Amino acid sequence: MRRFKHFLDFEKEANWLKQMAANGYELTGKSWGYRFMKTKPENVNIKIDYRTFKKQADFVDYCTLFEDCGWKHIAGTKNSGAQYFKKIREYASEDIFSDVDSKAGRYKRLSNMYISIAMCYLPIFAALIMTNAIDAGALLNPKELYFTPGLWEKAGFEFWQAFLFETPFALIRGATWAALPIMIILFLTFGRRAEQQYKKLIR
Amino acid sequence: MKRDKQLPLTETVYYILLALLEPAHGYLILQKVEELSGGQVRMAAGTLYGAIENLLKLKFIQPVPSDDSRRKVYLITDRGKEILHLDLERMKHMIQITEKTFIT
Repeated sequence: MRRFKHFLDFEKEANWLKQMAANGYELTGKSWGYRFMKTKPENVNIKIDYRTFKKQADFVDYCTLFEDCGWKHIAGTKNSGAQYFKKIREYASEDIFSDVDSKAGRYKRLSNMYISIAMCYLPIFAALIMTNAIDAGALLNPKELYFTPGLWEKAGFEFWQAFLFETPFALIRGATWAALPIMIILFLTFGRRAEQQYKKLIR
Repeated sequence: MKRDKQLPLTETVYYILLALLEPAHGYLILQKVEELSGGQVRMAAGTLYGAIENLLKLKFIQPVPSDDSRRKVYLITDRGKEILHLDLERMKHMIQITEKTFIT
């Protein structure tokens, strides 16, 4: 089973995953949404860290350390960022963090990731506007999304025919052009929210 | 004398450095820290991983070759030993001055 959800709060995310496990859905992976396997309902402790790794050996070392400590790595990859752990040993501590700074640190890394993606898109967006591949004016004035000559001077049936004919194309055009700025704003917002979580925790 | 910017060390960092006077991998560090601190300092995996990463950046510890392909093994550096020593001196002074002025 696959579920699509987006979280900016690791505690809420972990609680949701615990609830899913209690309903008999065990998390098996996360790529294009959360993947679950139907099993028997189980009360588990799930915790989430946020890290990316330069080398595969670093990632293996990281997962091994958690496993040594009684936390099994259940989802996440070397580059995925979010790393999901399930408590599998009695002796394991109740949390994967033992101080506030490291618990907060993952929000800082999450925030940095969102901001850096937004910063990567920014010059691309600027370049597309400068080369007129994206008509910035049309994003503010949707009328310019229609290319039919003299469309807005037409009237009656003739207008509606031409207007309705071009509308799907105009929508696709508008959506394509708007996608990049929307993503930039979205990622900056997520980055900012994660940063606020970080500050709230370390205070 | 100008004090080293890294001083004072936190309790966990101090014990990690002390544990790494001999080579050890992550989980062994946790066990040693717990033992050295008389059970006072119990670190969780995520916190230790971040601490190791930070100590590597500061060059207080370094990775050393080992037979274990799944676990990295670390050892204190000369810089690490130096900072450990400086912090020891700092605490010695605190103890001395406290005993002299507070306990009569």
